[in-house]
Amino acid sequence: MAETQVHAAHHAPSQGFIRKYVFSVDHKIIGIQYLTLSMVSAFIGMALSWAMRIHLAYPDFRIPILGWLSPNGAPNGLMTPEYYLSLMTMHGTIMAFFVLTAAPFAGFGNFVLPIQVGAADMAFPRLNMSSFWVTFVGFLLAAATFFIPDGPPLSGWTAYAPLSAVGSVAGPGQGLGQTLWVLSIAMFCVASLMGALNFIVTTLDMRTKGLTLSRLPLSTWAWFIDAWVSLLAFAVLLPCGLLLALDRLGGTSFFIPGGLVFNDQLQPHSGGSPLLFQHLFWFFGHPEVYIIILPAFGIVSHIFPTFIRKPLVGGWKVITFAEIAVGTLSFVVWGHHMFVSGMSPFMAMVFSVPTLFITIPSVIAVLVWVFSLYGANIRFDTPMLYSLGFVSLFITGGIGGFFLAQPSTDSYLHATSFVVGHFHFTMGLSAIFATFAGFYYWYPKIFGRTMNEKLGKLHFWLSFVGVYCVFITLHLTGFAGSVRRYSAFVDDFMIPLMPAQRFMTISALLLGAAQFIFLFNAIWSRFKGPKSSDNPWGATTLEWATTSPPPFDNFGGRQLTVYHGPMEYDDEASVMQTSPEASIAGT
Amino acid sequence: MSSNRELTMSSYVGIGVGLMLIVCVEVIFTYQHMAPHTLLFALLCLACLEAYVGVMYLMHVKYERPILFWTIFPATLFVLGFLCYLFPDAFRMLNMRLMK
Amino acid sequence: MSQIELMVAGGHEVIMEASPYGIEKKKLGMWIFIVSDACTFGAFLFAYGYMRIGTVAWGTPFGFSSILNGMIMTAVLLSSSLTMLAAVRAAQADDGAAVKKWLGATMLLGAIFAALHLREWFNLISEGWRLFANPTGGPAQFGATFFSVTGLHLTHVITGVIALGFVARGYKQGRYDQSHVETAGLYWHFVDLVWMFVFPLMYLMNAH
Repeated sequence: MAETQVHAAHHAPSQGFIRKYVFSVDHKIIGIQYLTLSMVSAFIGMALSWAMRIHLAYPDFRIPILGWLSPNGAPNGLMTPEYYLSLMTMHGTIMAFFVLTAAPFAGFGNFVLPIQVGAADMAFPRLNMSSFWVTFVGFLLAAATFFIPDGPPLSGWTAYAPLSAVGSVAGPGQGLGQTLWVLSIAMFCVASLMGALNFIVTTLDMRTKGLTLSRLPLSTWAWFIDAWVSLLAFAVLLPCGLLLALDRLGGTSFFIPGGLVFNDQLQPHSGGSPLLFQHLFWFFGHPEVYIIILPAFGIVSHIFPTFIRKPLVGGWKVITFAEIAVGTLSFVVWGHHMFVSGMSPFMAMVFSVPTLFITIPSVIAVLVWVFSLYGANIRFDTPMLYSLGFVSLFITGGIGGFFLAQPSTDSYLHATSFVVGHFHFTMGLSAIFATFAGFYYWYPKIFGRTMNEKLGKLHFWLSFVGVYCVFITLHLTGFAGSVRRYSAFVDDFMIPLMPAQRFMTISALLLGAAQFIFLFNAIWSRFKGPKSSDNPWGATTLEWATTSPPPFDNFGGRQLTVYHGPMEYDDEASVMQTSPEASIAGT
Repeated sequence: MSSNRELTMSSYVGIGVGLMLIVCVEVIFTYQHMAPHTLLFALLCLACLEAYVGVMYLMHVKYERPILFWTIFPATLFVLGFLCYLFPDAFRMLNMRLMK
Repeated sequence: MSQIELMVAGGHEVIMEASPYGIEKKKLGMWIFIVSDACTFGAFLFAYGYMRIGTVAWGTPFGFSSILNGMIMTAVLLSSSLTMLAAVRAAQADDGAAVKKWLGATMLLGAIFAALHLREWFNLISEGWRLFANPTGGPAQFGATFFSVTGLHLTHVITGVIALGFVARGYKQGRYDQSHVETAGLYWHFVDLVWMFVFPLMYLMNAH
């Protein structure tokens, strides 16, 4: 292995538990911190979805722990409609921000990206540390809403004004709870902006010798594109949050129209526009779903070649340009969330057309993955199973997108559970599956031990089937007119759908239970799993050219030189990026 | 790398004075009793000119590699350009609101 | 030498790919921050534009004295950009005393700008303008947008003055070099250029 030896006293690892594991500037520790925070958040979010599903299917069932958590919101464990909305809000907030945005981008990106580009750390390690801790404070603020008397806000993860802007008169949780929520999201914005800045500069300026942009691993490409999308999108959510905070705390009327009556009280505001809030929010909100899914594209594109033992169809270019196209178009389609908001009908057309166009690069990416499988000698290890699962979920969910992209069909479907099923498939579970793929794939690198393969496969199949049972059924009930955001279907035309609701609830409980297999596997393998070699999957990128787990400066003082692209595979043979041997796949 | 050697301090002072003159022109425009949208258009054009001069010369992007220019301008203008999609609804607000 | 020391010593290209931009990474980082912050300011100004378009009888509170005050503020901020450029040049020439002098001048001008701005604020407040109130009885949107947009800008100016103080101290102690001064300079010019939009949009468009 040819590499320039740089004899050096590297910036030494900090001593002491606090500097080494808590307030650490090491990108690997920060990555693990993000992943841990996401995992905790994911289980909280999942518990919330369990509570909601149980209430939907069995409206009389009492959940004692909810009664303990909020005596007002769930007296004797039976949740009020308002508390249902609070749980829904926090499920969305925690999952969208602290799981889906944090894990595949900040979590894996932090751990893997600097190693993949051959750097000793991020470009700005202390900024990196602050990103995590600001995120963490944001998480604490969001979590704190459960423990205040009125409970969490009930305006949804989108916090639509004026419901979110007028204060406690709008319902329980709309006082202090919503204020904490706004602060939490503002913190998250700041943290994401710092993280995105760091990722961009690291990718551009910290690449080791020979690692030209055309040789970047596909996951690095995706994180890089994603960082740009984050940088521009969160830059607009921040003012949106600040203006909302001003409406709540400063008495302004940016988002509150005149003559508004809440709970029989005329609000002392006038002249604002709820549509302005929706515009600013969705200007961020739509890129946000691509902020969530682009790292998933990258992780899956990175894992595929390793397990199909050949380069992706079209090389690095097609998939990367598809990602760039998706990232760019994601900024011009936000209005499709607002077809039923009273937006200018002319603008509905303006937003509908690019929404249909954005399927083109998405379909190109999907075709790259599917065509790459043709004639390949596929290794069905758990990371590959999850990658295939991702492709399946993304296709299934994406088909629903055609219906929702058009104002005419969206008008009917918008307020139904069809939309809920659609976004859970496309951004929620696709990204979760890619995160699992990345977790099983990089686990040996992160902890130096391998996860149990049998438990991994069991976890995959239970999750895969469970996801389809829950979310395909949501699509179907949505077609049948089942309204979203309702806490109970007790007295109208939705009663015939109750068997479907019960089926979804039972499936969701089993699906959630299957995640404990994963939790057990992750914790048990950390201590008892078989020791992993440096390169257990026979992969070619730089993270596999160092020890498992990597030393503090990632390469033990070596400075690597890169000679190849990341996809040098030909069945059993593969060539490391750092190897000066001749190319075999011509990438 | 940092090559603002291309400009002397006196040319910077000249640029500063030039920017100040543009501001004076803006103020003069303000008192010409133009229609609001004409005034807005004129002010925005002048402000963009100032920003361009500032970024190119004060922040000496002109003397950096062209790729820096092609990174920052398209990204920023992309976001600001598409935020214009907000305005059709602002105009509708005038006609559609129930209370002023 | 460690990787980081090698880079400082100009050995970046020996062991790493050259940056496509050919500038220090902290300067690139500052540029990326500026792109993002420009979008943040942009969204604030677009929200103002939205309010302004959609509001009947907006009301234009600024007399010529306020406009004159605004012009003086503009001149102060532009001069501070020039003193900042002088500080950067002094740092490139490794002239510590001149760096201290010019950074001090920049901070002083920044502080004068903030003081003039606050005077404007207090004038408006004494006239009865609030975030939520219009003393002339019209819509309250002017106060909301004016105080929030200029407040955001003022926060940037004050942050900049404090940051320049840190840079000056670090430079004097030898911890910082000319690249830090340049990076701080980029931020300062950016704040100046944002004012080139805030002044016409918030002041001139509201002059009677």
